[in-house]
Amino acid sequence: MSLVSRLRLRRRRVEKPTALHDVETIPRRRTTLILALALGIAGLPLILLYLILILSSFANHMLSGPDIFTAKYSLQNWRLLFEGKLEPAAVPLYTFRDLLVIILNTFIVAGGVAVVVVVASTLAGYAFSRMRFRGRRGLMEFLILLHAFPGVALLIAVYAIYVWTLKSIPQSMLTSYQFLYTILARASLEIPMSIWLMKGFFDKIPWEVEWSALVDGASRIKTWWRILLPQVKPGIAALAIFAFLAGWEDLIYVHVFLYVAGNIKTLATFIEEAIGKIETAYLPIAAAAGTLYLLPTLLFFIFTQKTLLETMGGGVKG
Amino acid sequence: MNKSRLGTILFFLSPALALVLVFYIIPLILAIYIGFTPLRDWNLKAYLGKFTTQSYQYLFYLLTHDPDVSKVVKTTIVFTTVTLVVNVLGGLALALATFFMEERVSLTYRSLWLLPRLTPVAVYSLLWYYFFLGDASGTLNSLLLRLGVIDHPVSWGTDPSLQPEGSWLILIVVNGFVGVSFGMIIFYSALKSIPREHIIAARIDGATTLQLIRRVMLPQIRWHLVYVTIWQLLSLLTTFAHIFLLTEWGVVDRWWGTTWALYVFNEAFTTGEQGVAAAAATILVAIGAVLGIISLRLLGFKKMMPEPRGEL
Repeated sequence: MSLVSRLRLRRRRVEKPTALHDVETIPRRRTTLILALALGIAGLPLILLYLILILSSFANHMLSGPDIFTAKYSLQNWRLLFEGKLEPAAVPLYTFRDLLVIILNTFIVAGGVAVVVVVASTLAGYAFSRMRFRGRRGLMEFLILLHAFPGVALLIAVYAIYVWTLKSIPQSMLTSYQFLYTILARASLEIPMSIWLMKGFFDKIPWEVEWSALVDGASRIKTWWRILLPQVKPGIAALAIFAFLAGWEDLIYVHVFLYVAGNIKTLATFIEEAIGKIETAYLPIAAAAGTLYLLPTLLFFIFTQKTLLETMGGGVKG
Repeated sequence: MNKSRLGTILFFLSPALALVLVFYIIPLILAIYIGFTPLRDWNLKAYLGKFTTQSYQYLFYLLTHDPDVSKVVKTTIVFTTVTLVVNVLGGLALALATFFMEERVSLTYRSLWLLPRLTPVAVYSLLWYYFFLGDASGTLNSLLLRLGVIDHPVSWGTDPSLQPEGSWLILIVVNGFVGVSFGMIIFYSALKSIPREHIIAARIDGATTLQLIRRVMLPQIRWHLVYVTIWQLLSLLTTFAHIFLLTEWGVVDRWWGTTWALYVFNEAFTTGEQGVAAAAATILVAIGAVLGIISLRLLGFKKMMPEPRGEL
């Protein structure tokens, strides 16, 4: 509906007499409508899947298409989910799962990844953008190459180091260490591209102000902190969102370093376990868990659409 | 370079360099080394000191004799090839379609197609788990039953009479929707950077849209096409998170639904044969290095690294 109204809005604006029409403006309205319809049909199965997941989380059975109109909706699944009860069919065998702890764990990992990525790449991005040193270009090339390396090969060795270091960690620090290691390992995956991204943001800032500060005798570090950082705030925000979502959506790292190694659950491994290991798991509750897990992604997605596309374009290009 | 300058550079670079050293460079060397040890069950003390090529011999034996491993190899080849074609052509189609749209509609569509990429792996796999579910409540089964195409529910990924095509199709569909957005983004920005005059001139000369695409636009983004193909090939060979869940949840056949990267992962973390896993991963590392260097050349690297200004 919004599509139609947008087109109508556009038409009204175009029909005002302006001298700025080029040949490209004329056939576009019809083309847009046809293409929008075609792409809409191509993407329809996907939208349907998301819709079924979200609606099922409120329904009395797992929805499968036309029955979305006949199902009974309530908050029952969500209540059971937050009570940690995944198997209403097997009432006496309720295994209690503390969902709040699981959500908190997911936030710790995602937030940690965001902090590590932002700190490391705003520092390095500045150096690569503004300072001249030997090996600068070589290092930047090397970063792209690192990005090309298969994660699964790294994972084996990173886990070997993990196993090796775990022995020397005192019992009281074990959980914190497991989180820290997971965060650092996952954040490192994002580092090469994030440095490129931040370098791009620094490149766009005119250097005159910074230069005059340097002439006045301010140190590089001070200039970076006082003059450059305030100017790349939007870039830092975009990067932080990206890194947070990367930590939030991750499955393999939290599976290996937290779930297998320490039986610490996050939303990803919680869903993995619910579907894979519990024979009596009630699918609509899993749908509620999925919807909950999807929520931050959807929110960021809706509010930062444009930035997201631009950053992504810049990020993958570089 | 004087001492304080070196200190400043280290201040800026050391956090990133430390992470890269600990989580990329050392693991990479270590992974290749583990391939030459008989490491199993993470028993570093007992096995890490022994240098041997038995993992490679064993791997070669598996490749030539184990029917399950040859299923994995076939799946990897078919999955990678077909998904690559789907991703590159689909990405191109999406980029062209959104390019010809008006900007605001185009933005909505482009971001919509980005959604699968941003959706958490577990949720995205869950969506498809419901869709391909083998009983009557699976979305696909329920729709086909209602339409009368089938008369009993079908287990698309596990029914032996439908394999390997069933499993392959599921893997391709699931990963296809994620992969198209990469090509779309690159191609779209490449199309946008074609000088407007070229397109307007072609239009004035009476070119149809199809001619415009074939004669004017595609030639100008041909290197982007090569770049996306290589990069996408690389990521299809190495990513396995969705496939991991699909096999674990029994959506697809255990072996017809496993690619080489997942096989490596399972060898290391389920079977517990880290030596063999590392040997198998080294093959991926070699492919990754070659493809990575090629795409680096294609990127036109020098243009992106102008000398820094404002250096005193």
